[in-house]
Amino acid sequence: MAIDLDAVMAEVRERVQAKRASGAYGPDVDAALRAPLPGGPAALIDDLHDPLGSLAGLLAQPVEYDLRSRKRYVGRAITAARRVVIGLVRWWINAISERQERVNRLVAAALQEQSARPAPQFDARLARLEREFQERKGAEVAANLHSVYFAARFSGDEPVIRAQSERFLELFQGRRRVLDLGSGRGTFLELARDHGIGAYGVDLDHRMVEEARSRGFECVESDALAHLRSLEQGSVDGLYARHIAEHVLPGELVDLLRECRRVLAAGAPVVMLTPNVATLTVGAHTFWLDPSHRRPIPPELFRFYLEVEGFREVDVRSFEPSELRLSEDVPEGAQLDNVRLLNETLFGMRDYAVIGRQP
Amino acid sequence: MSNHVFALERQLRAWGHEPFSYAIEAKPGVTGVQPYRRLFRTAAAGDLLVLHFSMGHEVFDQLVKLPGRKVLVYHNVTPPEFFAGINPHAAAFAQLGRSQLRSLAGTVDLAVGVSEYNRRELEEAGFERTATVPILIDWDAYDVPADEGVLAAWSAATTKLLFVGRISPNKRHDDLIRMLTYYRACIDPEAQLLLVGSYRDQPQYHARVASLARELGLAAAVTFTGSVPLPHLVAYYATASAFVSLSEHEGFGVPLLEAMRFRLPVVAYDAAAVGETVGGAGILLARKDLAEAAEACALTIERPPLRRALIEAGERRIAELATDLVAARTREVFAL
Repeated sequence: MAIDLDAVMAEVRERVQAKRASGAYGPDVDAALRAPLPGGPAALIDDLHDPLGSLAGLLAQPVEYDLRSRKRYVGRAITAARRVVIGLVRWWINAISERQERVNRLVAAALQEQSARPAPQFDARLARLEREFQERKGAEVAANLHSVYFAARFSGDEPVIRAQSERFLELFQGRRRVLDLGSGRGTFLELARDHGIGAYGVDLDHRMVEEARSRGFECVESDALAHLRSLEQGSVDGLYARHIAEHVLPGELVDLLRECRRVLAAGAPVVMLTPNVATLTVGAHTFWLDPSHRRPIPPELFRFYLEVEGFREVDVRSFEPSELRLSEDVPEGAQLDNVRLLNETLFGMRDYAVIGRQP
Repeated sequence: MSNHVFALERQLRAWGHEPFSYAIEAKPGVTGVQPYRRLFRTAAAGDLLVLHFSMGHEVFDQLVKLPGRKVLVYHNVTPPEFFAGINPHAAAFAQLGRSQLRSLAGTVDLAVGVSEYNRRELEEAGFERTATVPILIDWDAYDVPADEGVLAAWSAATTKLLFVGRISPNKRHDDLIRMLTYYRACIDPEAQLLLVGSYRDQPQYHARVASLARELGLAAAVTFTGSVPLPHLVAYYATASAFVSLSEHEGFGVPLLEAMRFRLPVVAYDAAAVGETVGGAGILLARKDLAEAAEACALTIERPPLRRALIEAGERRIAELATDLVAARTREVFAL
């Protein structure tokens, strides 16, 4: 039988705790376990565990030296000789030891000062910096905003979301385990189910997860990156992420793509939707309607991210035309060309998807 | 260490060599050892000189100048910080031993650590050719009947925690005594601590440890046997409930293996070479927590399956370090 040392030690710790709780292992036993070795100074090895504390005690101690020799026959003579020698060099030794004592005390005081001084300020400053960092992180995405009111005013219509997701369903046809990152209420999951695609979702928002679950969908409450990291290599055969990329920082997006590539099975597709900031009314205006959007991602850059992370057959598809457009009812020629150019630049497609495949 | 030297001597004789043991100062009662001075008259170019190093001594500087092939066997030198504050004399010798080890690098043909821990120290000290060979133990020598007197004296005691080793600050007998307070308060109020080992070299530490036991009200619960003859040692192993080591410095730790030989479960603080000597055949404590050490001992006594597993693992460990296996390794490394 092999010995499971971890299990044995876990039981040992449990027993110690139980005895603490029951009072059997009280302060008296504690004191005994730390009892100093009587009859002289502590061993240096023990002093080294608390050098500063030991130093303070040591400086206060007198130096003891027993000049008596216990040797048989010659002991008395040795003792007498030692006494004479010590008497002769006493003032010289005193001078040396006085100087050394002064050095010791100064060094000890300097060390004490160094170790005591920065600590309180350091802790307070560190605490302030941590607080400010958290506040800043929150402020960057307006974490203090009442999200319910925000969602009521700005969040997309279910039918619109459904129609958007429908465009990409054919890519997942026949797949058995597709992961929807940021699955929300489960719109994509519902579509997948209707089309016989096996899918489950991940969302950070507890209420969204509850809602998706109440509709009978498998949904994990987790951060997307953390969830991806928990998955085995090649364990999902499709990834869908609608409006996730613009909520993370560029480095996080790269991490996310790297993890996606790892968890996707060979040949499996990844589809990521994000606002098309190449359209200026999006890039300059509607993108910023959501304060939790971190960075606009131009389509060329997103394509590059996928290519450089090793995805194959990378493609960008834009969709969702702007409602407002300049009339193209103008004479052909330069005027029409100009209007078309303006329409494309100002009122082009509002979203795009970047698509890739695990090689 | 001396048992190891005699076991090696027997092996060398069996292989057809003509071995002699020398000592600077032999323990009283030890026979078959010659004074080291004789070496300076008799050593010849074809000889192999095996130097066992465990403390500093000026004579080593002279010994390495002798003719013949020289192998240093490093049993480790206890670091001086264990002695400073308790035994200044021992601290000074430990310091000397450590610095002398460095000065011996380059003067011997091969340096052998009795553990990998020791071999690494040899490497750090500057030795170029190093190897690890465990201590050669003549297991047959332990096949002696246990002393009846010792067995009878301890037959009635309930829990008997045993540690074997010279009384020395690095072996932390003081921690064993502190641990006993917990054991008696929380596990078995009748528990006894048996400390087998000579206190000849460390009278100051022995006196201070004994007064710690008195201060903690454990004078009747702690027994210092001093140096004992083999049948007594065998009896202590036979009567004990568990072997516990809280030593903070061991170059090898023969008693850990002796305990396994006598089918005792081993609980040991993992310091220096202790972990590799135990070799997975005991409960190794990663941190020095005396309450945990006590509970670990208690588990080996209260849990028959765990006790059996530890004893079986101990027997496997002894088989790994069987006399002929280690002898063969010694022969190979020493190129005999």
